[in-house]
Amino acid sequence: MSRLEFWLGQVAPYPQIPTGEEIESAWVTLPNSSYDPAVGRRLYGDYLEQLVLAERLGYDGVVVEEHHQSAYGTMPAPNLMAAAAVARTERIRVAVVGNSLPLQANPLRAAEEIAMLDVLSGGRIVAGLVRGTGMDYYSSPANPAWSLDRFWEGHDLIVRAWAEAGPFAWQGDHFHLPFVNPWPRPLQQPHPPVWLPGTGAVEMIERAAERRYPFMMVLAAHWFVKAAFDRYRQAAEECGYQAAPEQLACAVPVYVGSSEEAAHREARPHVEWLFRTGLKVPAYHWFPPGYMTKESFAQMLGTKAEYEMKDHWELTYDELVEQRYVIVGSRETVIERLTELSDDLGAGIVVGAGGHIGSMPHEQTVEGMQRMAEEVFPAFRG
Amino acid sequence: MAAVPRPRHFYTEPERLDVGEVRVAYRRKGEGQPVLYLHGNGFTRMWLPFHDKLAESVDLIAPEHPGYGETPMPDWLGGFDDLVLHYDEMLDRLELDTVHVVGYSLGGWIAAELAAFYPRRLRSLTLMCPAGLRVPGQPAPNLIAMTTEAVWETLFEDPSAAESVMPDYESMEEVVHLYGEATAFARLAWNPQYDLALERRLRRVDCPVLVVRAEHDRVIPDAVADRYAELLGARIERVAGTGHALAVEQPDAAAALVLGHVAEAA
Repeated sequence: MSRLEFWLGQVAPYPQIPTGEEIESAWVTLPNSSYDPAVGRRLYGDYLEQLVLAERLGYDGVVVEEHHQSAYGTMPAPNLMAAAAVARTERIRVAVVGNSLPLQANPLRAAEEIAMLDVLSGGRIVAGLVRGTGMDYYSSPANPAWSLDRFWEGHDLIVRAWAEAGPFAWQGDHFHLPFVNPWPRPLQQPHPPVWLPGTGAVEMIERAAERRYPFMMVLAAHWFVKAAFDRYRQAAEECGYQAAPEQLACAVPVYVGSSEEAAHREARPHVEWLFRTGLKVPAYHWFPPGYMTKESFAQMLGTKAEYEMKDHWELTYDELVEQRYVIVGSRETVIERLTELSDDLGAGIVVGAGGHIGSMPHEQTVEGMQRMAEEVFPAFRG
Repeated sequence: MAAVPRPRHFYTEPERLDVGEVRVAYRRKGEGQPVLYLHGNGFTRMWLPFHDKLAESVDLIAPEHPGYGETPMPDWLGGFDDLVLHYDEMLDRLELDTVHVVGYSLGGWIAAELAAFYPRRLRSLTLMCPAGLRVPGQPAPNLIAMTTEAVWETLFEDPSAAESVMPDYESMEEVVHLYGEATAFARLAWNPQYDLALERRLRRVDCPVLVVRAEHDRVIPDAVADRYAELLGARIERVAGTGHALAVEQPDAAAALVLGHVAEAA
């Protein structure tokens, strides 16, 4: 039997905006006059409800993600949502895929907040440390040209601040802190598990493998995820160990319907919103200068040209299904596709497993989660 | 890293000069007063009709900034002070005690910094559509967050004038190269896109200064050029029939103003 962990993914979209064809971008410049706080309050309530429900349904964990100035995700401060989820649950693990270190003036703040969440939750926190998307550099004063450097220095500082007794002095290239001595210290020792999410840039994959951090691949085609995971396994071997399935997570929206036909009919508009509107992002917002090294920028352009890859918002529903950006279908189809994630890709963790997708209404999301838990989870658990 | 790609037109083989550990690519032509020309955030690797026009009357020295054209990006590039020291050292290597300095756009900002830090090295200063000062209420449009089509429309008054200098966006090597140049720009001027200290420091400049602005500059607000002229007590000239890319759109008129100013100050 293939084994998989199922984590509910939550980005908190705000779907009531014009379609992707009508806007330059769902990020950075989409006028926030489209945001109605009364609608937002209902959405936050629904999204939180889904996180709480995930525990009752036996999910392995929930993931909350950070995004800025965007209708794709209205959770600029994911630690706040994590705190709300922690307060209303008992056992479920909570991964914060956020705390975009280069965007913050003081990485110690992230160390403090995650440690606080860890103590509050009784040691249930996973720290998914990120650089922030390219778009975030148009929504903050941070310079994309120092993003990679600041990320790794921030990471090194945070992990040391958690694992080592303070006070100690930090004399970095980007941060100087004479007294690193955070209170509280995290409950999980030496520190909460760290995940590194990415979109496939080789340098991130290799460094994740070196540190044995689970690598989480975000919204990509099946073959592309496979290439990234192969690279991770190879890097692990070069470091003298074999990568375990629990080190490979893929974020893929999943929807189980009562039948094949019903699943597609019900999921389609919301999958289309997610990719074709929520991810309507022009290239100049994705890749601000210096956000990638010249080498990985060249590699990305080369891969896109060679495989004629489209941007997310250009993909049709059929392409999204065919290339496995999403998994939609009856119980049997979904089990088959998920088995492939395990057997072909070697993944051990699926994020976004049957949770909210794009513009999906709350009731439909809940029904999808229930079918997922009742009909699919048992196939991957002993 | 592969060799630096060449533009479709106006490429000439540069000379090389080691400045510190940076192998600077530069072009030099002409006789007479030495004029250091500092380019903007683009039009690299090219010897344009504007350069030729200047080189008919002066000794024109046109280096490519670290991270631009064929001058590699050094790890240390992080701010305008790095460039000021770099150009001070380059002038030493060229054995030129004093020069006329002409800076266009981003290069105007660099030139202004150089003049503020090393006022005694300058015989004259010409700022063409310079960047570098804040004018409250008039933020410059963000050229980095635009399609390439929109960028070129914004740069020029007459987009057909852009044809010969437009990069080949079909070439992946060129696109990657331009991403590298944009990275150098980000290191210098992502945030903030002005230097408040420069306002205070400009009073140190004690050579004749000319500010040249374009009739229809949609990249840098006219108020920036006006502010430079005000702070420097400088004459300001306006070139008609051009957008921000005045050295390409009106090379003769722009060169005539520069040469007139150099001759007057010599």
